[in-house]
Amino acid sequence: MAQTGKSQKKKPYLQAIVFGVLSITSYVILFAHQSYITEHYTRGGIYAALPVGTALYFSFLHGAFASSVLSVLGIEAKKH
Amino acid sequence: MGGNRQKMKKIIAVILMVFLTLSLASTAFAGGGGPPKGIKKGVFIEVDPVTRTAVFKPSDSEEPMTLKLGESVEPEDIDLNKKVLVSLGKHDGEEFIKSVSVMFMDLTLEKLIALLVVGLIGGLLSGFIGSGGAFVLTPSMMSLGAPGAVAVASNMCHKFPKAMVGAYKRFKYGQADIKLGLVMAISAIAGVQIGIKIQKFILNKWGNAGSNLYVSVAFVVILVIVGTYVFYDAWKLARGGAEVKVSKLALAMQKIKIPPMLHFKRAGVTLSAWVTIPVGLATGMLAATIAVGGFIGVPGMIYVVGASAIVASATELVIAFIMGLWGSIQWGLSGLIDIRLTLLILAASLFGVQLGALGTTYVKDYVIKVVMGAVMLIVAVSRGAKVPIYLSELGFTSLDPKTASVLNEISFWALVTALATAGVIITGAMIKGMRKAKAEEREAAAKEAASH
Repeated sequence: MAQTGKSQKKKPYLQAIVFGVLSITSYVILFAHQSYITEHYTRGGIYAALPVGTALYFSFLHGAFASSVLSVLGIEAKKH
Repeated sequence: MGGNRQKMKKIIAVILMVFLTLSLASTAFAGGGGPPKGIKKGVFIEVDPVTRTAVFKPSDSEEPMTLKLGESVEPEDIDLNKKVLVSLGKHDGEEFIKSVSVMFMDLTLEKLIALLVVGLIGGLLSGFIGSGGAFVLTPSMMSLGAPGAVAVASNMCHKFPKAMVGAYKRFKYGQADIKLGLVMAISAIAGVQIGIKIQKFILNKWGNAGSNLYVSVAFVVILVIVGTYVFYDAWKLARGGAEVKVSKLALAMQKIKIPPMLHFKRAGVTLSAWVTIPVGLATGMLAATIAVGGFIGVPGMIYVVGASAIVASATELVIAFIMGLWGSIQWGLSGLIDIRLTLLILAASLFGVQLGALGTTYVKDYVIKVVMGAVMLIVAVSRGAKVPIYLSELGFTSLDPKTASVLNEISFWALVTALATAGVIITGAMIKGMRKAKAEEREAAAKEAASH
């Protein structure tokens, strides 16, 4: 975290917006087709890859969104 | 930066390899384990109120089957053409329907908000102490209407991405010991298999109530003992100016020199594998029994391995990621994950876990112990309140329905209290730490300006 030592760090507004839009769009698409999705995701066997893969996908996308939102709000780890 | 990335790639490759071997080995060895056996998934096509029978098409076969309705099931309880979980019983060699629950509950706005709130605080807690969340998320989903198995499965599938994000953040802060996490996770997965075997043995011998009683008693006894010790230790540290010492037990363990010896760089200890493996096994056994392995994993890493509370709680997230991924695959194979529930909790918990993780950079080591001890003790109260109910189900005592409902209320509100207490302590400590850090920064800047 050495590079964060500079007092005026640029806030990741663009990142927050891009990841935010992508994440929210993914949520909307998924919930708009919830009956189709829940049906296919619970078939068991090889279909296990669907819920596990989706959870991973959201953890990257939404995790990056959450991380940049916290940075934009100025909530960051202690600088050493 | 390039070196760091290289290191991360190497770590991810090792984790994936270990994971693949483990999941293959465990599936071959234990036949998966976890998801319940006496439950069938499928759709009802027809119900006949006169003969009290229903035609059911299981998901895993093309052949519809006719099932008798049990005494507690009414024809109106059967929803046609909706995916359901049917719990089957056997009477005189004939299968009958014990209970039916709709797999996918309708999500109302209230349910959505409830999931987000619980997810946020559960995430905050696990980012901060490395575990927690499951003990309140699973019952919450069940009280919102999800069948037990679906609640456990959906929570598991939310646990590993959350833990992954938390572990990544805390690795970046220099807190997580990946090697210790891997060693612990491998032995914990073996521990889970042992835990499942014990559970099955008890279930076969004493039935459902007996199994519930065993789980609750194990839960209460372990949580009270370990929680009290963690709390006492934190209290001592808080009073005595917070000078963290390695426990005597850990120092004694470090004297054991039976190979293979393992060096854990971030934790700053060199230990025999014969010390870390039992701690991992116990974590796994407990995870299989009481669903919160972290409550033994973190104290185990602090008091037996000799890591600091900060490193132990960060490393627990690595363990939670590996075990959560393994568990999610098992539950996914049985097709019991409701991805909507998983993603709704995740929506808030990914914020919570990162907040909790960065919060640890502002607090002293003992604050993690305070939160952990407090949560463990309150959760123990929640589970303890249920013990008389299971005892009466087993016929040891009699309990009037009014007392039973009061005990259930106590149990529920204790969970809410545990979560609220944790939320308040963590947020309070974080705000205090951030203010102090800002003041120090300002002071340093003023000094620098004055010296020029």
